[in-house]
Amino acid sequence: MTSLALDRLNKHFGTQHILRDVSIAMAQGEFVSLLGPSGCGKTTTLRCIAGFEQPSSGRILFGDRDVTAALPEKRDIGMVFQSYALFPHMTVAENLDFGLVARKVPPDERRRRREAVLGMVRLQGFEGRYPRELSGGQQQRVALARALVIEPSVLLLDEPLANLDATLRDEMRFFIRELQQRVGITAIYVTHDQAEAMVMSDRIVVMRAGAIAQVGTPRMIYERPASLDVAAFIGRSNTLEARVEAVAGGGGLYVVRAGPSALRAAGPVGLAPGSAVRLLLRPEAVRVDPPDAAPAGGGNHILARIAASVYQGAAIQLVLETPEGARLIADVNGRRAVAPGQTVALGFAPADAWLLPA
Amino acid sequence: MTAASGVRRTLWDRLFLALVAAIYIFLMFPIVLVVVLSLNSGEFLAFPLEGVSLRWFGALFGNQRFLAALIYSVQIAAVATVVNAVFGTLAALYVARFAGRWRDRLRTLMTSPLLIPEILTAIALLFYFYELGIGTRYSLAIQMGHIVITFPYVFLNVSAALFNFDRSQEEAARSLGAGPWMTFRRVTLPAIKPGLITGGLFAFVISFDVFNISLLLKALGHNTMPLELFDYLRFNFDPTAAAVASLSIFVTFGAIFLIDRTVGLRSLRF
Repeated sequence: MTSLALDRLNKHFGTQHILRDVSIAMAQGEFVSLLGPSGCGKTTTLRCIAGFEQPSSGRILFGDRDVTAALPEKRDIGMVFQSYALFPHMTVAENLDFGLVARKVPPDERRRRREAVLGMVRLQGFEGRYPRELSGGQQQRVALARALVIEPSVLLLDEPLANLDATLRDEMRFFIRELQQRVGITAIYVTHDQAEAMVMSDRIVVMRAGAIAQVGTPRMIYERPASLDVAAFIGRSNTLEARVEAVAGGGGLYVVRAGPSALRAAGPVGLAPGSAVRLLLRPEAVRVDPPDAAPAGGGNHILARIAASVYQGAAIQLVLETPEGARLIADVNGRRAVAPGQTVALGFAPADAWLLPA
Repeated sequence: MTAASGVRRTLWDRLFLALVAAIYIFLMFPIVLVVVLSLNSGEFLAFPLEGVSLRWFGALFGNQRFLAALIYSVQIAAVATVVNAVFGTLAALYVARFAGRWRDRLRTLMTSPLLIPEILTAIALLFYFYELGIGTRYSLAIQMGHIVITFPYVFLNVSAALFNFDRSQEEAARSLGAGPWMTFRRVTLPAIKPGLITGGLFAFVISFDVFNISLLLKALGHNTMPLELFDYLRFNFDPTAAAVASLSIFVTFGAIFLIDRTVGLRSLRF
């Protein structure tokens, strides 16, 4: 069941084209992150959904209700702001009651719902406190509670963890995700933090320059990025210039040539033999073998010289140079001794490499 | 080393304390003096006091002209305050939110009554009302003058409060289902209330005190308190004048006390 749909949203501001044909369909209870660098249009998209901005064209649907022209107060949304936007002159209880009063919920019902939601965010007994008397994390939870107590049809979160310190941020990620699943509410989460989007989301919408670059599960986005931009934005990656030599089977498997090596790698269906591609390799997918070893079952080997090694505790980060001058990064087990200057074979499975049109 | 710098710091502290004290004495002494003089039982506004009595306050309240002037001044100031509380707030909201690239120019325009010499504003308004054929037959001219002169105080204070206000609070209110009016009343207004109260208090006190505007624009047959006091001092030199001044001081302190009791002076900080 579609709970929220954006249908070809466009937004112009003067001569700037801020949103370009943004379309997303979300299922009931789904947690979707809008991820991208600042200025990519993720916040504008969220503000269009909330009703604080009007799209120049396109439609916004909540279920089968067209809310494109509806005022924010008529949309039935719960929103959590980066600054929390708690009302400073009201106690926690009054903050929570605000939306209920606006909806003309009777006092008994208000108290019941307030207590229930304060239980959910573990803030029982804080009803009489003012926002300034709470820590950042507690304010954050009040903001969540205030958005949830009205039982909205969609929960919108605008970089809610940006103002918290690192430890608390990690904790709140799981807290918000767990709460969202318990309530079963459809949630849209705006962030520029890819790690945040990875651990919280059912699906991630990667945005760039006002358009959607890719929509997919965190695993898809990470392992099968749609473009080099997406790959560069999500995690670290190595890219090698290569050329498709042959299609090695139906499911998007290819033989490519990179320098002297013939390599087998996965890629999107439809890459033509002879076309130039980039081979994408995540640093943690690379194995370091002795230079004369045979590649393990169906795997690939690239010869490279270790230019530098950085001890990082759990892992050692190696900087490697191929004879053709390409630089690669590999994360290897921290207890293995590898000396700079050595030549090694870099091994990786075909499924761990991903081809993108150059 | 530590001890030496400690000693030096206390020395500077004491000097600074003395300086601050001197400034306060310089500023407060005339006010205290006026109150003391108003309690003089003698015939003249002079030292030494011949005795302590409230007779001049009695004289003040027995003086119909002073009472009428006091009521007139309070009326004018109250109307100016209420009108500016509404229009100063509306103007501040407009300039802060909708003026766009005209914002700075509009802000300067709104504060121009502070920058233009009061006497020029008074003359301009005088010409204007005579041109309209109303002149100073009614209190309209003086009332308009007081509104214009005190407008920037409300405007500036509310603007400052708006500047520090996180507008996502309003968006939060809207997202929670509140319409524009409920959002203004329950979220925006409480946020600008300190600015509104400070500005309103300033407007009231300035209106109560202003001289030039009142001198030129006052309605026939009426006098404001400062004008009446001036007239009185030209021909009399008894402590009634000091009693009038003391009364003004008490009114001001009363207003501050009232604000502290209702909204708290702490909320007036910027």
